[in-house]
Amino acid sequence: MWVSSKGSFSDPSSLSFRSSITPYQLPCPNSGTGNHSRSSSVTPIHCGLRELKTRIGSVKNTQKITEAMKLVAAAKVRRAQEAVLSGRPFYETLVEVLYNINEQIQDEDIDLPLTKIRPVKKVALVVVTGERGLCGGFNNAIIRKAEARIEELKDLGVDYTLVSVGKKGNAYFLRRPYIPVDRYVEAGSLPTAKEAQEISDHVYSMFVSEEVDKVELLYTKFVSLVKSDPIVHTLLPLSPRGEICDVNGNCVDAAEDEFFRLTTKDGKLTVERDVVRIEIEKFSPIFKFEQDPVEILDALLPLYLNSQVLKALQESLASELAARMSAMSNATDNAAELTRNLSIVYNRERQAKITGEILEVVSGANALT
Amino acid sequence: MTLNLCVLTPNRIVWDSEVKEIILSTNSGQIGILPDHAPIATAVDIGVLKIRLKDQWLTMALMDGFARIVNNEITILVKDAEKGSDIDPQEAQQTLEIAEANLQKAEGKMQAIEANLALRRARTRVEAINPIS
Repeated sequence: MWVSSKGSFSDPSSLSFRSSITPYQLPCPNSGTGNHSRSSSVTPIHCGLRELKTRIGSVKNTQKITEAMKLVAAAKVRRAQEAVLSGRPFYETLVEVLYNINEQIQDEDIDLPLTKIRPVKKVALVVVTGERGLCGGFNNAIIRKAEARIEELKDLGVDYTLVSVGKKGNAYFLRRPYIPVDRYVEAGSLPTAKEAQEISDHVYSMFVSEEVDKVELLYTKFVSLVKSDPIVHTLLPLSPRGEICDVNGNCVDAAEDEFFRLTTKDGKLTVERDVVRIEIEKFSPIFKFEQDPVEILDALLPLYLNSQVLKALQESLASELAARMSAMSNATDNAAELTRNLSIVYNRERQAKITGEILEVVSGANALT
Repeated sequence: MTLNLCVLTPNRIVWDSEVKEIILSTNSGQIGILPDHAPIATAVDIGVLKIRLKDQWLTMALMDGFARIVNNEITILVKDAEKGSDIDPQEAQQTLEIAEANLQKAEGKMQAIEANLALRRARTRVEAINPIS
């Protein structure tokens, strides 16, 4: 009927919309007065019925995908939680033993390679990022933190090198050859002791061979489902009492452990953090040390290092999953809203077309009589 | 009288049941633990742990850790532990060869330390496969 010969390309406001869906020109039935159908709050979507229908279909598919991704991420959070829980017996026993040994050798001056505090000339930063995208601002946040820390170190005149963990971080630093990266590590979907081992071995050898004087761990601390915090955490040198120190010098006692739980609140999935204090038995049997206590501490501290790295990896994974859950949830909501708007426009177009046809028939009939 | 053995790695519990006797590889040599042993604490070297259940010996490859024996409760904390039956012989042999090659190629103190550790680990894994009667 009224097929505009130029299509709608003369209309600039619809051009950008056009190019985003179809690369070719489609005839678009205009109403006679050239009215643009406007939906309530968005820019005018001005197109053919068939196009609109295709678009609605594709948005609905996208919605299904994002919904599925959100559920998958929720399931993985549960798995990550189980991994954290199964790592607890090791960690608790380790802390207990560390305390007991420290009690028994309190008077001695301990001098272990891992606890040596040297003047800092070079720092190794271990940056933990995610493997995949579509997780909101997660990877960006940690990378920005890393860049900020690098700036701080540059200002202090300290040299630095990076150990990048995770595909996203690897890709980012590969594109920037001006940042020296010592090694790239790729973790699987669930961080295991083997990966933590690889990282901690590398860091151990860097520290002991005096290539670096300090090792810092940058990972994302899991605060809640919608909030996560990239933090910098000093890994080496360790304090022999097993305290975990922040860059600013705030120390947390090793016996206090935080872990997260996936629960439901008001019918929605949430995650809560609990701080648990590990019970240290006051009565510790006097052990006969097979080797020198210093040697034993020397064997314990790498274990401690390993478990710190593993905890950081697990926590980072949990934050990534939570970020993905909330990003996909937002995407699903947006897709639903877009479907609604598009349907409204579609219906208006359809009704306008029908009205036009009726008017034509009626006026044709009038003209005859 | 039996010993209650608990082998823990950072992400899982590898062994948690009763055994009759164990032979542990420590920094100062191998030690055998029988029930009612005096309480000791020792560092565990990269080596093979032999466990006796009834009359059968099982092997497990342990990497660097710590062991504590008190009141017939043995707690072994290691970086990684693999049961001998879980290790694939060919894969372990290949890992050993790769580790030896890496040691030859290592330059610098840092790489040498890493290569050495890798070699010892690979060797332990290969040893753990061979069962003891």
